[in-house]
Amino acid sequence: MLVDFELIKRAQAGDGAAFNEIVLVYRKRILGTITRLIARPEDVEDVAQEVFLRLYFSLDQLRTAEVFEPWLYRLTVNAAYDYLRKQRRRQEYRMSDLSEQQMLMADALAGGRVERDERDQKKIRESVDALLGVVSEADRILLMLKELEGLSLKELEKIYDIKENALKVRLFRARQRVLKAFGATAKGKEPARAG
Amino acid sequence: MRGDSDEQLDALFRVYREACPTPEPGANFMPQLWHKIESSQTLGFTLRRFASAFVTAAVAASLALGVYMAMPRTAAPNPAYYSSYVEALAAANTIDTPDIVAPVRLDLGEN
Repeated sequence: MLVDFELIKRAQAGDGAAFNEIVLVYRKRILGTITRLIARPEDVEDVAQEVFLRLYFSLDQLRTAEVFEPWLYRLTVNAAYDYLRKQRRRQEYRMSDLSEQQMLMADALAGGRVERDERDQKKIRESVDALLGVVSEADRILLMLKELEGLSLKELEKIYDIKENALKVRLFRARQRVLKAFGATAKGKEPARAG
Repeated sequence: MRGDSDEQLDALFRVYREACPTPEPGANFMPQLWHKIESSQTLGFTLRRFASAFVTAAVAASLALGVYMAMPRTAAPNPAYYSSYVEALAAANTIDTPDIVAPVRLDLGEN
């Protein structure tokens, strides 16, 4: 844990400076996680602020130091989930040029010959974002936490408060759906989106 | 068993991770966060005050209604309590009441 429980206790007691310190310690990590979860850099700060806002108003419910980080992750997951749901309602993802994006990624994988500038990175983000549209927001986040954040099943178990076996099944199914969509786009078909 | 597609997907996730570098927090991150916290606190405070005022008003109204219901009725007694049944009936249906004695009008419209 990056902060000691004394600091959390002070923040719980209403010490603004202590809360400030907690935010300063964790904000970069949270920003990184949210960036990968939502794939839209322009909204990352807003979602991160939402996480810390929720933390501020629910800090008094925390009882033990050990659960602080899983709990902060849970707040992050919930905020990202709310954001993605709103986004999904607002817009339809463009899937048509996915094959082109995959070619770009294949080039990138082939030894980094392609110089990826910000525009290419944006295209990659959009492609993966579209690909993950075939699973629900909850499964998307779960998959991201496992595949990109590198969280273990034990850590995910603490965050989600779900048994490891149930998580394994859910992860397996989500990955299979994404793989299927990945295969379909490679053949030029448009994958079905999660409802 | 992991196939080619699995490896390609893993590679895609790696590329995606590289395409999502952790951003540096902006200079306004903390001021905006505190502004949001203070706004939420103000909203919560306003809602609590409103709820408190509503509860107080509801209790006052209940008490007033209770007192009103408990008070003995003295003014304008009902004729049913001081006269016979026939007198009360006559008072309620006087013979010169226009609604009773007026001829019934039939509206034979053209439709």
